[in-house]
Amino acid sequence: MNAVHIAGVAMTPFGRHTGTHAPELAQRAILGALDDAGLELADVQAVYCANVFGGMILGQLVLRDLGLAGIPVYNVENACASGATAVHLARHALLADQYDTVLVFGIEQLTALGGGTIPMQRNDRMTDLYARAGLVLPAVYAMRGTRFLHERDATREDLAQVAVKNRRNGVLNEYAQQRTETSVEEVLASRMIADPLTLLQCCPSQVDGAAAVVLTKRRPTGEHAVRVLGSVVQSGLREAPGDDILDAEITARAARLAYAQAGVDPADVGVVELHDAFTIAELLYYEALQLAPHGEAVSLLRSGATQIDGRVPVNPSGGLLAKGHPLGATGVAQMVELTWQLQGRAGARQAGQPRVALAQCTGGGIAGVDHAASSVHILGV
Amino acid sequence: MSNPDSRLWSGSEPTRLLASQHLRSGALVFPPVAADSPLAAEYRPAALDPVGTVYSYTVIHPAARTGQAPYALGYVDLRGPVRIFGRLAGKARPAIGDRYRARPDADYGYTFEYAEDQR
Repeated sequence: MNAVHIAGVAMTPFGRHTGTHAPELAQRAILGALDDAGLELADVQAVYCANVFGGMILGQLVLRDLGLAGIPVYNVENACASGATAVHLARHALLADQYDTVLVFGIEQLTALGGGTIPMQRNDRMTDLYARAGLVLPAVYAMRGTRFLHERDATREDLAQVAVKNRRNGVLNEYAQQRTETSVEEVLASRMIADPLTLLQCCPSQVDGAAAVVLTKRRPTGEHAVRVLGSVVQSGLREAPGDDILDAEITARAARLAYAQAGVDPADVGVVELHDAFTIAELLYYEALQLAPHGEAVSLLRSGATQIDGRVPVNPSGGLLAKGHPLGATGVAQMVELTWQLQGRAGARQAGQPRVALAQCTGGGIAGVDHAASSVHILGV
Repeated sequence: MSNPDSRLWSGSEPTRLLASQHLRSGALVFPPVAADSPLAAEYRPAALDPVGTVYSYTVIHPAARTGQAPYALGYVDLRGPVRIFGRLAGKARPAIGDRYRARPDADYGYTFEYAEDQR
């Protein structure tokens, strides 16, 4: 039996959890996921902890007081793709028959960093030189935005519309940090950060949260057992002169591999959670994930197909823009949301009755590559 | 300004921004490969053309509390080919296709200055 199922999921609300330490924050998600799975702590044979800025052996710290009897704990870091990478590695171990049931959790406490854009990985001559000049992730995405507006039949209003859509979804999500609607006018009038990206086109930087999933090779007994159909992690290729910064090559590659692995056609995908750290990213990923043909991202957005009641709802949770982006938790939280969506448990933001779901996130922070990491997971019932 | 960073600039006048050129493929790498890199023997120094064109850019607007004025950043494509990220000075709002000239800078090692000659 080579199927890996998601037996249970849970997450904390994303937001400011000032004063709460990592164990108390993450344990809520962990115990919630186990409860959702109908399992006990003793049923878990290994734990994967995804985190970026929380320091060493965070997994063991979080688990110390839960009495997990010394089972293996793996701490996983892959920037903003840490959570998805942890799920990917956990699935490997299950497929290799190392374990029957494992727990994956992601946690991040960005409020502890004091705000602002996340720091680059500067232990590198190129990244340090570029960061000294001002390279930060908002600038990377902004330059994609500039080029997008230059090459495509697209406007600043189109970029803003991504934020409007995802903020509207966030209103419906009790786990989201931003729960107020916004308008195109309000998005464009918010403070300019990195032209053409205004403040409301950037995911909030002050956010904490945790999310957990239980993965198992034992088929859950419920009616809508969610299966991991495809799981891919890819790394970025070194940039070359003449690269097209709009092609999101690493994510397009990860998506192709994931579709092939899952035996799924892009047209079969019924709901998507993707890495909208900035508005421009969502448009680029429409094409990289083959939700739209090359050059048709704006048409797809304008058509309404990616709204909650559309043909292929994208970021019904509110995405990173509204739900928030606690880095290590993000990839896991995407799978929490998609499990709820596939099982019809997403409440007011339920996006139809999807049978196949796709999660995508990327991790960046070094110069010289499109992104350092990109992960695509395909789930199905 | 003080002497240009010798790791980034050629010693001869007029000083030129340096890259490393792969001996076999001819591909240019910027910034130059470090002298202590185990890959250093596979590269030779190459002086770059001083003027290139903007591939894309952004203008960063720092928060008011920083007191910093907005500044432009961008990718500049130089003949070689090689694409380099850096500060874009001399024009409040660059445009894609604008020509910029590399010059030494005490803070950043180099910046790109809007070129008078926009042929």
